[in-house]
Amino acid sequence: CQYYPPRRALQASAMLRRASDEHKKEPLTSSSQQHFDSPPADHQPEEKPQGPRPSYTGQGGQESEDYESEEQLQHRILTAALEFVPEHGWTAEAIAEGAKTLGLSVAAAGMFHSDGSELILHFVSECNSKLSELMEKEQKLVQLGEAEKKPIDEFLRDAVEARLRMLIPYIEKWPQALSILLLPRNIPSSLNLLTSMIDDIWHYAGDQSTDFNWYTRRAVLTGIYNTTELVMMQDSSPGFEDTWRFLENRVADAMTMSNTASQVQSTGEAVVQGLMGAAVTVSNAESSRAVR
Amino acid sequence: VNQVFESVAKKYDVMNDSMTLGIHRVWKDILMHKMNPCPGTLLLDVAGGTGDIAFRFINYVRSVRQRQLQRKLKHHQNLSWQEIFESYQKDEFNSLGDSQVVVCDINREMLKVGKQKAQHLGYSEGLSWVLGNAEELPFDDDKFDVYTIAFGIRNVTRIDLALQEAYRVLKPGGRFLCLEFSHVSNPLLSRLYDLYSFQVIPVLGEVIAGDWKSYQYLVESIRQFPPQEELKAMIEDAGFFKVDYENLNFGIVAIHSGFKL
Repeated sequence: CQYYPPRRALQASAMLRRASDEHKKEPLTSSSQQHFDSPPADHQPEEKPQGPRPSYTGQGGQESEDYESEEQLQHRILTAALEFVPEHGWTAEAIAEGAKTLGLSVAAAGMFHSDGSELILHFVSECNSKLSELMEKEQKLVQLGEAEKKPIDEFLRDAVEARLRMLIPYIEKWPQALSILLLPRNIPSSLNLLTSMIDDIWHYAGDQSTDFNWYTRRAVLTGIYNTTELVMMQDSSPGFEDTWRFLENRVADAMTMSNTASQVQSTGEAVVQGLMGAAVTVSNAESSRAVR
Repeated sequence: VNQVFESVAKKYDVMNDSMTLGIHRVWKDILMHKMNPCPGTLLLDVAGGTGDIAFRFINYVRSVRQRQLQRKLKHHQNLSWQEIFESYQKDEFNSLGDSQVVVCDINREMLKVGKQKAQHLGYSEGLSWVLGNAEELPFDDDKFDVYTIAFGIRNVTRIDLALQEAYRVLKPGGRFLCLEFSHVSNPLLSRLYDLYSFQVIPVLGEVIAGDWKSYQYLVESIRQFPPQEELKAMIEDAGFFKVDYENLNFGIVAIHSGFKL
């Protein structure tokens, strides 16, 4: 006779979440967490033993909103783990501590790769989402006429500064994160996140062009972002003022650059500069890490 | 099954080494690396008789703990001698970081050999030895962080019951790890493997342990055991999520992993 496996969602985690609702901290981003912040009355896993199976079995798209899938649980664990990064670094240990705060066993960190890459990628993607939200809000204000539309150089400066400021709580361990992101295994994902963020910024800056300028602008802004990030790693001035001044200068350079005829050459230069800076800083970071 | 293991208990480790040409040590090390336990983990090793996994666990956790303590001390560069002295006194210097392993086996002889080994090798803290049946574990629900069963699950009569028990005793978020002989799909390797298994191993059994029949049984039970995908399905049926397996040596051995979520 046929044996139909019982269909149920993540029972253990659902019950834990109900039990720990009082202890739950406010999640960093609200957008993806809206499903679980609903009151406990919506969760009745004991009374409804039949529930949709999570998507990993290939029956995709059958998750109902009341039940959590594996990805969502992993997302929550990584978010909880961020709190422990300043102490443990971007490691499996931080993930294990994060899992503990959610009431799960430390062994749950085994779901992720042992070098912490997923944690870093999660963080980067969260920061990018936050940046998008900020820019969206600003755009709404401009549309409602409550704010002035910023000139492009100011907009770029503010966007990059806002995004880089999100690194400040983790700045000590950020060089470690950068070197992990540069591992061949992680490059596709990290590059993807970087380029979509840059595209996002240009989109909100009001750039609608689809000619060859698009590539130039992307490359230029990527160069600005990367070099500023690296400068920030080594900046010890109060409030990172050296970094923001550096940023201002780079954006100003870019603006004047775009007005000259030698655009293609400058793009090449910008990219090379960015790469050289990256290589030097990462090798410095690596050697200082090794010494430690 | 009980009789088989009573007779092989004393020679178990020697036979393992000769049968697998010592590679079983590597397999168990890989299992430990996959587990990557951090200090404070509570491990249940079922059918772990002679303690191989348990000892590796303790070694691993000890070295992780050492590194942790080193990092902590580096951060405390500015402490006075009094404070450093006090931190050495406190539990912080606890070398295993509260990690513990419970070795459970159905066979008293195997446990005896394990305890002797532990004494001989100098493992004292963090170890417990319990007599028990994998199909009906003598433990409460939601107790352990990790459940391992290395080369033991094929000797269990009702694998589904053992898997259900594993699910029961694991904490939410806990991990199930199973190291077991499995199916070789590569046809050439499969022929060589069969040849080795049926011709060489029982002979080794007779020569080293004086027991042809037990090792004949062993080789046959390996062939009877469900292949990777089937075992994966059984683990999923017991309620585990993110079930995956990793083939070692082209499928001679496979590590299955699942989480109680």
